[in-house]
Amino acid sequence: MKMICINCPKGCEMDVAVDGENVTVTGHSCPRGEAYAKSEVTNPTRMVTGLVRVAGMRKPVPVKTKTAIPKSKIDATLFAMHQATVQLPVKIGDVIIPNVADTGVDIVATANM
Amino acid sequence: MKNYDAIVVGAGVVGCAVARELTRYNLNVAVLEAGSDVAEGASKANSAIVHAGFDAKPGTNKAKFNVLGNRMFEDVCRELKVPFRRNGSLVLAFGAEDEATLRDLKARGETNGVPAEIITREELRRREPNVSEEATAALWAPTGGICCPYELTFRYAENAAANGAEFFFDARVTGIGRCEAEAGEGWRIACEDGREFAARAVVNCAGIHSDELNNLVSAAKYSIKARRGEYLMLDRDEDGTFSATMFQCPSKMGKGILVSPTVDGTVIVGPTAEDVDDKEDKATTYAGLEKVKAGAKRTYPNLPLGKVIAEFSGMRAHETTVGDFILGEAPDAPGFFNAVGVESPGLTSAPAIGVWMAEAVAKKLGVSKKNPSLVSKDVSWWPKTREMKPEELAALVEKDPSFGRVVCRCEEVTEGEIRAAIRARVGARTLDGIKRRTRSGMGRCQGGFCTPRLIEILGSELGLPPEAFLLSRKTAPKALSGATQNSQLSTLNSPDVLVVGAGPAGLAAACAAKDAGAKDVLVIERDDAPGGILQQCIHNGFGLHRFKEELTGPEYAQRYVDMAAERGVKTVCGTMVLDISPLADGRTNVTAMSPRGGLKIYNTKSVVLAMGCRERPRGALMTPGTRPAGVYTAGTVQRLVNMDGIMPGKRVVILGSGDIGLIMARRLTFSGAKVLACIEIMKKSSGLMRNVVQCLNDYDIPLLLSHTVTDVEGREHVTGVKVSKVDDDLKPIPGTEMHFDCDTLVLSCGLIPENELTKKAGVEMDPKTRGPKVDPNTMATSVPGIFAGGNVVRVYDLVDWVSRDSEIAGRSAAAYAQACGKSVKCKV
Repeated sequence: MKMICINCPKGCEMDVAVDGENVTVTGHSCPRGEAYAKSEVTNPTRMVTGLVRVAGMRKPVPVKTKTAIPKSKIDATLFAMHQATVQLPVKIGDVIIPNVADTGVDIVATANM
Repeated sequence: MKNYDAIVVGAGVVGCAVARELTRYNLNVAVLEAGSDVAEGASKANSAIVHAGFDAKPGTNKAKFNVLGNRMFEDVCRELKVPFRRNGSLVLAFGAEDEATLRDLKARGETNGVPAEIITREELRRREPNVSEEATAALWAPTGGICCPYELTFRYAENAAANGAEFFFDARVTGIGRCEAEAGEGWRIACEDGREFAARAVVNCAGIHSDELNNLVSAAKYSIKARRGEYLMLDRDEDGTFSATMFQCPSKMGKGILVSPTVDGTVIVGPTAEDVDDKEDKATTYAGLEKVKAGAKRTYPNLPLGKVIAEFSGMRAHETTVGDFILGEAPDAPGFFNAVGVESPGLTSAPAIGVWMAEAVAKKLGVSKKNPSLVSKDVSWWPKTREMKPEELAALVEKDPSFGRVVCRCEEVTEGEIRAAIRARVGARTLDGIKRRTRSGMGRCQGGFCTPRLIEILGSELGLPPEAFLLSRKTAPKALSGATQNSQLSTLNSPDVLVVGAGPAGLAAACAAKDAGAKDVLVIERDDAPGGILQQCIHNGFGLHRFKEELTGPEYAQRYVDMAAERGVKTVCGTMVLDISPLADGRTNVTAMSPRGGLKIYNTKSVVLAMGCRERPRGALMTPGTRPAGVYTAGTVQRLVNMDGIMPGKRVVILGSGDIGLIMARRLTFSGAKVLACIEIMKKSSGLMRNVVQCLNDYDIPLLLSHTVTDVEGREHVTGVKVSKVDDDLKPIPGTEMHFDCDTLVLSCGLIPENELTKKAGVEMDPKTRGPKVDPNTMATSVPGIFAGGNVVRVYDLVDWVSRDSEIAGRSAAAYAQACGKSVKCKV
């Protein structure tokens, strides 16, 4: 299976062979590429960034999942972001939504407001 | 029902001129306009030429009013403070046949009373070095000129309003009839929305619809054929290419394709002449724009297509039964006056038609005395800060700080001007209204940066939510006045290193300068907060190299904001650098303006340019079609969604596969929009593969390679786009069209370094990168003491490299500052 790594701008084109439990990756240029390819075939994950409403303001606060979450949870994560409202002040790293969509991952603020 | 002495239907340049002249007779005047602003028809989209008058057929109204109007322009433009330049006209001949035409035109000019002479090829080349070598001779008409047609219309309207005329917008006349006998003589007018008006006299200045209005009341029927003209506008860089207006020999369809300077410093190219069935079909077409290009290249073989900033079309009101201006009282409708079929030279004729028509109407109403005091009564205008002397500007900013906040950076338009334009007697109520009154959004980025700010200002002035101005237009104006005094400009004898721009480049340079020993480092930022464009790039993927971790844009920016603060770098925000002047002693004067600080001159030892880049606007892409709301650059959408909390649309097509476009495809999907497709003219995406994978493929958004948008549809707002496959020469292939129903078109077609200041500073530019030429080891420009870093130099893929190279610039600037003053000449 052909796959393009999304870890860095290089975008390595990798070949991934799956044989039962064994996943063989070629074409990557760093360990992160190999890890990405393996996770793509077993449990694909993504960082999700988004916006959360701020009480009394038009301008939203930018947020992200602290680490990557399973791709299948993106919709639920976006929904949770959309539902939330925060009070100011907010600092980078503040937890806005703990354990979003039962992923075990927190949504944190990415800007000071 | 409101009663007036006279009602003018149509607020184009002719209608507004007539209204203004009518108010000189102390008449009670109203102007009814179907559109939402003055100058919404042919007056906003034409060649902006004050014709000499040699080509109109002798004895016609066109000839008479052209010549009369032309002679009035100096006075009218002085009275109303409208820019006007008598730059002269040249008609080019390409061979013997054309030369015979020139002789005919010259003779015709003599009959019309217009001076003209034929000049040789050598004389032509001497005067206009950029003209085609194919041109064999030319007719020179010194009385030809150029003017801003909508500015003339606005000021006629303002002056009319100052003298008591009332303006009604969105007032499309649908019915007109004689008053009942008991109500006295005169006319009743009904508008589409139910408003009714009555007047003793009506003046039909309805432009392209003037035949329809006449045909409602008179048995003498007229018929106007809409004759569309398409144009291209070139960037101010092209100012000075031609000094005169360059015509080609006229044909039956019109005066042909011209290339002319404009009073705004741009170059206008066009128009085509094509009869169309739909009077409102002001779309540009692929074929039309090709015709403009080919026609203009005959005159100007080196026509630089990369300098195109906009394309548009306008509609001539061509009357087909008489073929001349039809002016005066309709024979069978007393008190109903016509200005029908006023096509070219309509702009030139407008001042004369205004005077003549007002006299005729006044005579009909039994009034003959003018009130001289009314004429010069103020025109209720706003100062153009970009044209003011520094001391004047400083005084104005002191009085009203909003004149110190630059909103449109391409044309240097301040918030104060925009607010004043909204508060004027006949004030702006739409984005277009602001654009045409102040030029905000008319420069090379075509509103990419200022649109979010403009809708905010419109909203606050008119009491509406900002997004209302992205859809449509309805509201009412107010009044205002303003004057200036003189005040002193202070020159500040600091700092060591002055950095222009507090984005990742500027902050990295400032930090590095501090670390290299510069004592006093000042960063000047035009936005209200430091961080630059990264503030709106809320996605992740930044900093892998620089910080060895993956950050979002605001996080990356904050790292540098904190680092700068720790080092004692001073940052002033909301401040726009207007000028950079290198001095003989090796130092540099930097002029900056802010609402609170006013105008200041910093005498600095060295400068780092870090202004970043801007997006290519629609104009630069030459996408044909209408020009409705709903077309944005990807960066503008990013700002609207991520910073202002505004969703511009629900069904989106993205043209271009640059990284910002790909990122916005995902963002818009996340925010609830349906992204129908991403269209790329090249054979592969111009963005990073990782973004194609994680922004398009992850969400099943199709990427159509070797395709482009060949038509934009919709009048008020985008309703759809047509997409075609292109061949190897990037030309659309007929028969491959597909249609997308969408309400938004997002453009992501590349970035251009932003270098207005760089050019002002006299720095040598690199035509390939469109940034300054720099020494990669020091990031020094061609001007001693001026360094540059980041996207202002060339467009980078990765912010990490922006920071790295800007740090070099910062260190070099610090070294220069330390050497400065120690020896006579400062060197790195």
